Amino acid sequence: MAAPGALIPRLEASRLRKLQALGVICGLAAGAWLGAAEAPTKLVRIGVSPVVISLLMVIGVFLARWSVPALARGTAQIRIDARQAPHLILWAILAGCLWAVANTLTIFAIRDIGLSIAFPLWNANSLLGILWGFLFFRELRLAGWRRWFGVIGGAFLMFMGSILLVFASSTQAPGGRALHGVVAALGAAVLWGTMYIPYRKAYLTGMNPLSFVAFFTIGELGMMTVLALRFTGGVLPLWHELINARSVLFWLAAGGFIWVIGDLFQQYAAKYIGISRGIPLSNTNQLWGLLWGVVVFGELRGSSASLYAQVIGGSLIMAAGAAAIAFSSAQPKEHEHWQEAALRESQRYGTDLDYVRSGLEGRSATAGRANEDGNRHTILDWIMLAITAVVFIGLFVVARTPMVAFNAPAAVVLLIVMVAILAVSGAMLWRTTKFN
Amino acid sequence: MKDTNQSWWSALLRDPHWWVPVIALILGLVVLQWIQ
Repeated sequence: MAAPGALIPRLEASRLRKLQALGVICGLAAGAWLGAAEAPTKLVRIGVSPVVISLLMVIGVFLARWSVPALARGTAQIRIDARQAPHLILWAILAGCLWAVANTLTIFAIRDIGLSIAFPLWNANSLLGILWGFLFFRELRLAGWRRWFGVIGGAFLMFMGSILLVFASSTQAPGGRALHGVVAALGAAVLWGTMYIPYRKAYLTGMNPLSFVAFFTIGELGMMTVLALRFTGGVLPLWHELINARSVLFWLAAGGFIWVIGDLFQQYAAKYIGISRGIPLSNTNQLWGLLWGVVVFGELRGSSASLYAQVIGGSLIMAAGAAAIAFSSAQPKEHEHWQEAALRESQRYGTDLDYVRSGLEGRSATAGRANEDGNRHTILDWIMLAITAVVFIGLFVVARTPMVAFNAPAAVVLLIVMVAILAVSGAMLWRTTKFN
Repeated sequence: MKDTNQSWWSALLRDPHWWVPVIALILGLVVLQWIQ
């Protein structure tokens, strides 16, 4: 292999710093939005099967993922990415399948061992992500002991914090099938940790995250549909479940829509700071989920002072872990190893080097083509946006107001915070990379 | 530079990274079947 510096010039230090800071912001924004996605599902307390809940969220995710990218950059970019790196379509579909199976495993893990034990087990996905990042994508090479300590120590702190939080915030402890539950939770950790291999592969190759997620949803929706058919017993039983649940479909699809915003930020984090740092940062979603639960849904109301102390302590430990990772961003020497991995991908799949280099720099390889960037919205984009709008309006019309009590003013305040995070992070992404 | 359209399939199958998520997916489905 040729020296990477000869084919992919070293990224300017100032540009690298900017991209690293952007990746950290995106990781934290991902945590906020992924955590908020739990809120609409908390409104659904009727007897809908968990697999159907998962399927409905994925339908919301699918609609959002084909409309948000259309709105942001247009589908023309998706076609360009597919032509440049067709192999990544399969990688993205595979990642979507992994997500769907992992998500279903978590449902069984919660059923068998409870959230308090299951959550920290599957949150170990970040540790696996660090391992894959190091082994396959040359992350943390020549990073220095301080950054190693920051990333590994930070991920470990987050893991410990998450254990404290879930024990404090959940009360159930079902038994009887402990082994099944533990295996399911660990299986979810392995699948969710491994799912980031395709993510990193795509972004080292230069694919735009908005394109990657569009293909990801095909695998996700396809696999989730197969699993839902399998678990409900076929097309007719599944259809009956959907009809029976029509009054809550909107809330579940809305949860999926919010989740997509978080996932898009997660993708940009994986692109700009790698999976060893991006996954732990987006795992701060647990803090946000807890915040929604406590402040909006009053989940810890009437609890003892020691429980509150446990929650505050766990949150602080998690936040400290996230901060340690945020301050351990890659330096030029480590980034050269990322370039080496990118060059390997380019040579393995015959991907155009300009495309790969532009992706690493957070720029578009097609920026010079006026047609593609200037008139990037086509009629197809507007059709997809219209379909999404019609589906959501239709679901809203048949939706029933949730019977679950919640603190509306607190929800409004948190929503404003979420929108502010979206606006600030989105503006930074646009200014720095034009969503590349 | 390789011809992308002709070679990416074989490159994919030769990519050692490809088999890690594929094996993980198969194991996940096996676990799912087992815990039902």
